[in-house]
Amino acid sequence: MKFRGAEAIVETIEWNGKTVISKIRNKRGYRHPTLEKRLVVERLRSESRIMERLLSQGVPVPAIFSVNTSDNSIFMELIEGQTLERALRGKNFKKYLIQTGQLLSQIHSLNVIHGDPTTSNFLVNDKIYAIDFGLSSMSDDDEDRASDLRVFLESLDSHHSEINGREIFLDAYSEEEASKSVLQSLKVLELRGRYNLMRG
Amino acid sequence: MSEIILGIESTAHTAGVGIITSEGKILSNQRSVYIPDKGEGIHPREAANHHSEKFPILFKSALEEANLSPKEITLVSYARGPGLGPCLRTGATAARAFAYAHNIPFLGVNHCVAHLEIGLLEGATDPVLLYLSGANTQVIAYAAGRYRVFGETIDIGIGNGLDKFAREAGMGFPGGPKLEKIAEGDELIDLPYSVKGMDLAFSGLMTAAKQKVDAGHSLPSIAYSVQETAFAMSCEVSERALAHTGKTELVLGGGVACNSRLREMAMTMAEERGVKCFVPEKALCVDNGVMIGWLGYQMMAADYEITDDDNRVNQKYRTDMVEVTWR
Repeated sequence: MKFRGAEAIVETIEWNGKTVISKIRNKRGYRHPTLEKRLVVERLRSESRIMERLLSQGVPVPAIFSVNTSDNSIFMELIEGQTLERALRGKNFKKYLIQTGQLLSQIHSLNVIHGDPTTSNFLVNDKIYAIDFGLSSMSDDDEDRASDLRVFLESLDSHHSEINGREIFLDAYSEEEASKSVLQSLKVLELRGRYNLMRG
Repeated sequence: MSEIILGIESTAHTAGVGIITSEGKILSNQRSVYIPDKGEGIHPREAANHHSEKFPILFKSALEEANLSPKEITLVSYARGPGLGPCLRTGATAARAFAYAHNIPFLGVNHCVAHLEIGLLEGATDPVLLYLSGANTQVIAYAAGRYRVFGETIDIGIGNGLDKFAREAGMGFPGGPKLEKIAEGDELIDLPYSVKGMDLAFSGLMTAAKQKVDAGHSLPSIAYSVQETAFAMSCEVSERALAHTGKTELVLGGGVACNSRLREMAMTMAEERGVKCFVPEKALCVDNGVMIGWLGYQMMAADYEITDDDNRVNQKYRTDMVEVTWR
């Protein structure tokens, strides 16, 4: 498997006798070298730290095996399974949406903001795994959490406009008492003009 | 039989009348841009006054350039939004007056979608559009019956940000091209780089840039750093949209897409990614009547049924409100 993402080349490699995922942030030629370096190092560090925090709390994310700042690579556990984007086209979409809502709520409860929780960044296996923490950050601000929800809902809307997943997802997300206030922030965020017409 | 479409643009500072045939041949692209007084931004009512003064001249010169009489026009199309209310109403009135006087059918279309559709004329078939203008900053692509907004600014439009910064640094309107002219350097001044998923934010960047002016950095090197940072953000989100949608074509649109550095960066990104990059000529990137006419034709050619609603201007007419029936 080899996938050229928006900021890294992700591929399966053999490492210490097993198949793992290698994520290498390759150079973006359009970006100024100083900016490129700053972003790559920031994102590599933040990604590995945050994933380790989630792992230590038992959140289903890939385990990290190695981080190397000289070639900007991370080696991590290979999770088998299809993307949520694909899985939502099947008949079990409700179950997956509920599990994803619960997972995102769990991640947020640890003050982690995923940053790019589109339906392509969850993998469906025995449970749902969150992947690609390249844009993640730490925050306990409900608005940042709501902004994550909006990214997810938007990708749901643009890729899965045929299923009405919004309510199912949000209900599952707000099962935990602590997550309820985030829905208020989401309301405020979506009322900010730019978003209130988007679910056409 | 070949159709001849007259398109009218007046969403912001540009009054435009374009004439295009159903084969995509551009017969005329007349534009007149309202320039506010130094130190000021666009004043909607004054922009509208400018447009109402210029439209008669623009109609005349467009028909002259195309060597046509009004009777030969088969469809009139105007931008019904998004944009500034007074400007939109002026364009709509001009469209109605011309269409009624010569008994030609007319309809209002979405300005942002027109920016994308004119890119298809360049040869793209199913692209991601990086649309960078004064008011609008969006990454748009087609999915399930609509042009969906995959990413956009969560505060101000990129061009608006560049203009504001330029104005505060003592340059006139529009500031984007002026910054491009003075931008110089190779050392990057550290500025906020704000990408959230596929969304962007520019206000913090512009405020920081202003602070660098106050701190005594040279204007050319700040202009250079602002461009490097803002355009890298824009290229990054469009690359994210390309990765996310799996599409293999990129189209640039909007006034800021005239910037040579932005064009260069987008083409580098496309090349590294192995996707095709379509860059319409500058006269078709900026606001213009041709693209409005072309979209009107696409809709009518697919038997679009005009409703009353289509002939009301809508200042908040979002890209994703348009049901795409013509593809």
